[in-house]
Amino acid sequence: MTSYGLFLGCTIPARQPDHELSSRKALAKLGVDLVELDQATCCAPPPIESVDLKSSLAIAAYNIALSEELGLDIVTICGGCFQSLAKANALLKEDKHLKDEINTLLGKVGKEYHGTREVKHYLQVLVDDVGLSTIKKNLSKTLDNVRVASFYGCHVLRPSSLLNFDDAERPKILDQLVNATGAKSITYRNKLKCCGGLLKGYEDDLSLEIAREKIMNISKTKADCIVTVCPFCFVALDMGQLLIRRKFNEDYQIPVLHYPELLCLSLGIDAKELAFQAHRTRVDSLLNKIT
Amino acid sequence: MDKPRVGVFLSNCDGQINKTLNFKELIKYANGLAGIVYVKQNKEFSSAAGLNLIKEAIKTNDLNRVVVSADELITSMVKISQAVQDVGLNPYLLEVLYLKEHCALPHKKEPANATKKAKAMILAAVEKVKLQEPIKTLEFPVRKSTLIIGGGLAGMQAAIDLTDMGFQVTLVERLPVLGGMSSYAGKFFPTDDCAPCVESPSCGLNGITNTSRKCIYRSGFSEIPNLNILTNSDIVAVEGVPGDYKVTVEKRLIRLHSPSAYPPPFISLRQQTHAMKQIFEYKGKKERITLDVGTIIVATGFELYDPSNIKEYNYGVYPDIIDQLALARMLNGFGPTKGSLIKPSDGSQVNKVIMIQCVGSRDERYNTYCSSICCMIALKHAKLIKEKFPEIEVNICYIDIRSGGKGHEDYYEEARELGVKFVKGRPSEVFLDPETEKLIVDVEDALLGKFLELDADLVVLSSAFVPSTGTEKLAEVLGLDLSEDGFFKEYNAKLRPTETKQRGIYISGANTYPKDTPTTSLHASSAALKAAKFMRTGVITKDQKTALIDSDLCGDCEFCPVICPYEAISLKQLDDEHLVAEVNELLCEGCGTCVGTCPVNAIELRHLSEKQILAQINSLVSDGGKDLKVLAFCCSECGGTVLDSAGMAGLQYPSNVRAIKVPCTGMLKISHYLEAFNAGADAVMVIGCKEDGCHYEAGSEKAKIKVDFTKRLLGLYGIAPERIEMFFNVYIEGLDFVNEAKAMTEIVEKLGPLQREIL
Amino acid sequence: MKVENSQFYKEVTSKLGGETLTKCYQCGTCASSCPVARITTRYNPRLVIKNALLGNRAEVITEDAIWLCSSCYNCQERCPKGVEIAEVMYALRNIAVKEGHVPLAFIEMASNLINEGRLVPVTSFSLRKRETFGLPPLKEAGVTALNKILTSTSFTKTVEKAKEAAK
Repeated sequence: MTSYGLFLGCTIPARQPDHELSSRKALAKLGVDLVELDQATCCAPPPIESVDLKSSLAIAAYNIALSEELGLDIVTICGGCFQSLAKANALLKEDKHLKDEINTLLGKVGKEYHGTREVKHYLQVLVDDVGLSTIKKNLSKTLDNVRVASFYGCHVLRPSSLLNFDDAERPKILDQLVNATGAKSITYRNKLKCCGGLLKGYEDDLSLEIAREKIMNISKTKADCIVTVCPFCFVALDMGQLLIRRKFNEDYQIPVLHYPELLCLSLGIDAKELAFQAHRTRVDSLLNKIT
Repeated sequence: MDKPRVGVFLSNCDGQINKTLNFKELIKYANGLAGIVYVKQNKEFSSAAGLNLIKEAIKTNDLNRVVVSADELITSMVKISQAVQDVGLNPYLLEVLYLKEHCALPHKKEPANATKKAKAMILAAVEKVKLQEPIKTLEFPVRKSTLIIGGGLAGMQAAIDLTDMGFQVTLVERLPVLGGMSSYAGKFFPTDDCAPCVESPSCGLNGITNTSRKCIYRSGFSEIPNLNILTNSDIVAVEGVPGDYKVTVEKRLIRLHSPSAYPPPFISLRQQTHAMKQIFEYKGKKERITLDVGTIIVATGFELYDPSNIKEYNYGVYPDIIDQLALARMLNGFGPTKGSLIKPSDGSQVNKVIMIQCVGSRDERYNTYCSSICCMIALKHAKLIKEKFPEIEVNICYIDIRSGGKGHEDYYEEARELGVKFVKGRPSEVFLDPETEKLIVDVEDALLGKFLELDADLVVLSSAFVPSTGTEKLAEVLGLDLSEDGFFKEYNAKLRPTETKQRGIYISGANTYPKDTPTTSLHASSAALKAAKFMRTGVITKDQKTALIDSDLCGDCEFCPVICPYEAISLKQLDDEHLVAEVNELLCEGCGTCVGTCPVNAIELRHLSEKQILAQINSLVSDGGKDLKVLAFCCSECGGTVLDSAGMAGLQYPSNVRAIKVPCTGMLKISHYLEAFNAGADAVMVIGCKEDGCHYEAGSEKAKIKVDFTKRLLGLYGIAPERIEMFFNVYIEGLDFVNEAKAMTEIVEKLGPLQREIL
Repeated sequence: MKVENSQFYKEVTSKLGGETLTKCYQCGTCASSCPVARITTRYNPRLVIKNALLGNRAEVITEDAIWLCSSCYNCQERCPKGVEIAEVMYALRNIAVKEGHVPLAFIEMASNLINEGRLVPVTSFSLRKRETFGLPPLKEAGVTALNKILTSTSFTKTVEKAKEAAK
């Protein structure tokens, strides 16, 4: 199995131990070899791009250069990190002039971006390297009768021409991976629409309103849980339900899981070994259904 | 070559230019030139009397070369040319120059210099014509028959026009029926009249009057005597030359119910799918037919783009999302729904229709162009719906409404008055609401500034028009170019409409760009006229102003066949298996681009040899003295016209600038520029047509490349590259030329004479 | 209303991210695809672009519309003219930040980046939590290298100035 340079980003290691834990456990169980990048930094996501695009490109290139030095492609856990790095990788591979400008900056810290490696998201690694049939073979418990509202988030999908991840209008990867656990990935209204996660922190009302519409659409389908890929989407929908309860007096109680958590459960890893206590919306209803 | 006996005739333009040019000096000068046996000044050489002076002089003095400085640009040349022919002189042994427009008028303020320049111009003309051999007239046979590819409205119109004019026409159509798009469209805007109708032939068919446009089946089309219709047929191969093409047609031997191939009032989807299958999957018997024709008209039309690619619109996923063609069928009384508007999914009643414009058009991801007729088609269908079913709500989502033709804006108003609604906004998505199971169109109404979620029973996509399937392959078979948008490329829509880079092959109708019916008819008749002009006398006569290749020098580098804009050069194998280039004189237009390309100087033009160019260069710039000389190489099309217009407008530019004409600047070689410098030019200007408007396709573009190279070469030798410059001008830019000439002169005055930089 | 800076579009198209601004033909696909525009009149991508094209520089730079984009890229994905709308928003924000117009939250995140190399600070609380869950210790972030880069691009200076303006 190919080794990958693991890029953790900042939010997951600092704030979502449940996300990091379940990812590491699931990927290890499926034999994916990850080498954590040393001296990595933040990927330079939208808040940093908002201050200066060039700096953000340089930061992304710096992190990719770290993996290039190890001779490895990068894999990210966070959907947002995936977009930052993959987008930068695509832009710099295309535009030699821009690449030279960025390398002038990287030269100051003794690094060089070559554009020789790929940036992937772990979902791609699961489908392409591990394979759906291998996952199915490794299941110790199929999650029958579990209806899952899968949510890709925006940044693994778009802008599709630069990311090379999946079809942005009719993506399949996450649904296939959810179905591989035996659960059923259902459709719901405006499935691919943004959760408003990035507005949190300075436009909380707007952010919550957008998340609420999503929760409402999902709740109409009577899904057993929501599965997310991006840490911001997770917070928007998980913590979001708490805030919705407080502000709108609506109680949805739909468990929100990081995809690796769902995968771990089906791979036979005990719920106690995962960090569900970090979730704000209780996951009991799902766990009870599974056992 | 016989010893030259040159006569020089100078018109003083009814005394207009005597004040500027010293004619006494000019006459004395002319008399002193080698080979001159007769010099005459007159106030004009245009009237019968004036021309007679020339004719008599030729006869009396046994002149075999004539130089005339004429009264008026171009028209004089035509008259004088005819006059010399009347007395038996080959018209190419005549050289006409225009001292008035090219010397006296623009250098009014410097009479002494103007006279000096006039002497140089006379010398150049004399030296050139002394080296000219007679040029004969060639004749090529042309068959008076045409192949028309495509039996839609354009093809049929061209067929009617050509047969009416007496030409034999074979019409090849790949479907079993004629009519093209008209068979599906139902009605045409803006008159809302019936689609499948054509002009009726004027050949006088019994029982059929030709006074009006008629339904195809009533027009008598298939009974036209000199028309041969081959349906279920494809073009397999085309060989030969203009005027004599050999075409191989393959006909699928399918039993037809009707021998005449008239379109039925309605083609059902099943019939159409079957017909398309027949074209691409047919495995039955075929027959090969060979045709010999003089011209070919390509009228292969267009078809609708498949919007399944545009995933956010979900075409193909939900059956109630259809395109305008499907709607046309539904509204057609003969159609699958007998004219009623029902949902394809369950046959239930339609109450709300939403149309979406620019689907796959004006879109970088699919087709970048505007398909030009879909706004009118949508309005047509919207109006038809509202007229027949006033209670049905129709909403058109648009980016812009394009209603530019005659009567089209009124049509748009009528639609609004009937209650058709409009939303200015391009929908982002069409999806099925999982709860209500209704189709929803998500759109921002930009004018209202509000977000609408319009529910619809039927969503109609106005998808783009694209060239018919098989266009690429046919273009290859015919040797035609396609534009970037995939449609056939007209040679130049303004300079040579309906013509292509293949002489004798014309294109018309929607296969060059989506068009409405009136424009299609016009375009088709236009192509028919061009073909008719080409075939009319059964002979193409042209002067042998062509390229001549010295096969001994030809090194088979194969550059010239590639570079020739008319594909007039091919490679011939000699006995020793050595390949040499050979010019097809019918196709050659004498531009000289091959001359400018040949690395071993194996090619010359019969009407402008290398010696003639050098003679003119020397004459124009080596008249000595301290004056700085600027030599301008001008093409005979747009580039050279700026000298004419500047002169005619009386604009003044420095007399340092002397001009030499070539057919196309593409003919010029780096050696020509170097020769110019060597002969005494201190600067060189090269003036050609605009890069995208070269009358010989790409000559001026190639000239620029060589000028740029020359600049680098000069630089390597320590000579200022500013001494040579390329310009692209058209007739109305006489003032630009004057500024360019002044600027060039100023540069050269600052730099000083070339000699200073070399020594 | 007078248009105050009709050359503004040139400023935008010459910046990284803003190159495609002038391709827009105001079709509104972006607005219709936008999750934020649908629920608030304070932001509409089509209008932001329109204002930028016309030249209402002050409005675009000082008001909060450009900060309400949630970076979902749905607009850019669907734009028929290839206008990189999300990138244009960043370019406009870049101009705004340089002149001191930026929400506080962004200054905080940018400061965290400069100080710790991360958007969010790693507290001792999070480090303990990691230990509890058996996660490996956090590797060091390349703060020094990052700062060299950020100083070279004037990022650090821009953030300092914005902090001052916010006071």
